[in-house]
Amino acid sequence: MIYLDNGATSFHKPSSVAFAVRRAMATCANPGRGGYTAAMNGAQTVYRCRETAAKLFDCLPEQVVFTGNCTHGLNMAIRSVVRPGARVVISGFEHNAVTRPLHALGAQITVAGRKLYDWENTLQEFEDALRKGQDAAVFTHVSNVFGYILPVEQMSALCRRYKVPFIIDAAQSAGVMDVKLRPLGAAFIAMPGHKGLLGPQGTGLLLCGRELTPLLYGGTGSESRNQQMPDFLPDRGEAGTVNVPGIAGLYAGLSYLTLHGGPEAIGRRERIAAVQCAMELEKLGLKVFRGPHQGGVVSFVPQMDCEELADALGKQGIAVRAGLHCAPLAHESAGTLDSGTVRVSFGYDASQAQVRGLLQAIQKILNR
Amino acid sequence: MNVSFITFRSVTFAQRGEVVLRAAGIPSSLRRTPKWMEERGCGYCLKIKQEDIPAALGQLRQKAVPFRKVYTQDSDGKLEERVP
Repeated sequence: MIYLDNGATSFHKPSSVAFAVRRAMATCANPGRGGYTAAMNGAQTVYRCRETAAKLFDCLPEQVVFTGNCTHGLNMAIRSVVRPGARVVISGFEHNAVTRPLHALGAQITVAGRKLYDWENTLQEFEDALRKGQDAAVFTHVSNVFGYILPVEQMSALCRRYKVPFIIDAAQSAGVMDVKLRPLGAAFIAMPGHKGLLGPQGTGLLLCGRELTPLLYGGTGSESRNQQMPDFLPDRGEAGTVNVPGIAGLYAGLSYLTLHGGPEAIGRRERIAAVQCAMELEKLGLKVFRGPHQGGVVSFVPQMDCEELADALGKQGIAVRAGLHCAPLAHESAGTLDSGTVRVSFGYDASQAQVRGLLQAIQKILNR
Repeated sequence: MNVSFITFRSVTFAQRGEVVLRAAGIPSSLRRTPKWMEERGCGYCLKIKQEDIPAALGQLRQKAVPFRKVYTQDSDGKLEERVP
């Protein structure tokens, strides 16, 4: 199979990831709950991952909270920063993981910057919105549909200047681009563990730059007589048993990334494949979304129904994702809400052979 | 050999403390805090040699690792809380 759905999850993970999961299941009990060897193995496993993530994302180990996925982290972050009815500015390329929690809180949402690959438009509209007064900002680092890399450093600087707390959705950038909590000064950065970080599904990280409001209440293994959640991280955000086998696998994924040149090197490989792919798709007469500031994701509109093309590709052993990608706002911005798109998203194993295989399969289908 | 305990509010703080002390060449071992030392319920502590306490506390403060209390042995061998 040629797997090109890394925007949903990385699939062909390094073998060390599954090995670490299996090993953790055989050796680790509940971390932070006991002093016997298996419990301490669990605690050690979790701390190693926390510490490695903290180094990679420039924060303290306790600022790394383990979550079940990026959506979980975004919900925690949004609940911590956004009060019901608050004014919130978001980009025109947000995922439902951002927009649905905001709608649930009755936030007054301003959408700023709807032109693809256009930093000037994004920054201008974003600053206009901040100038009018906002209580919070939430924005994605990279569009999961179109691969648009937003100018997050400049957007973060604007938020700092206007003293607006902000949350970054790093679902598509963690593991393939530079993501740092301290220099950006974000209130929170949420990311999945199972995409670019190469960990198992059911893992995620929330980097906390400010006080966290718990989403779950329960046991933390600390200060058990206190009926309030602990006021310190990471315990405040980690009620209940964490996913130790998943975290062990995530640690293996992070270690793989570090040993193979780090996020920048992997991201570069993905971007090269995406550019090549976009150019070749255009030669087939397809409407392809591409431009400057694009990551390892390419969306296109075929002459046939996008789901049917994805289905036909699947039957030829090529995995892509079609439809709205849980991001109707992004499709609305790009004018593809009705048609949807076929999305090709490259991973750490991106190669020219994958691009060739995809192109041959599409040609075969279109020539039928 | 007299031993001392430095207590922490969470296993994560205790683990970070252990890493900091190891880097400074101060041996310690991580364990559950004895119940009588932890009036808030549950916690973890680092067991270290009594003579290492001043250097250890200096390192923890320097690296901003929050700790709670310090217990050292008195001349009778009893552990007592000391103001850190």
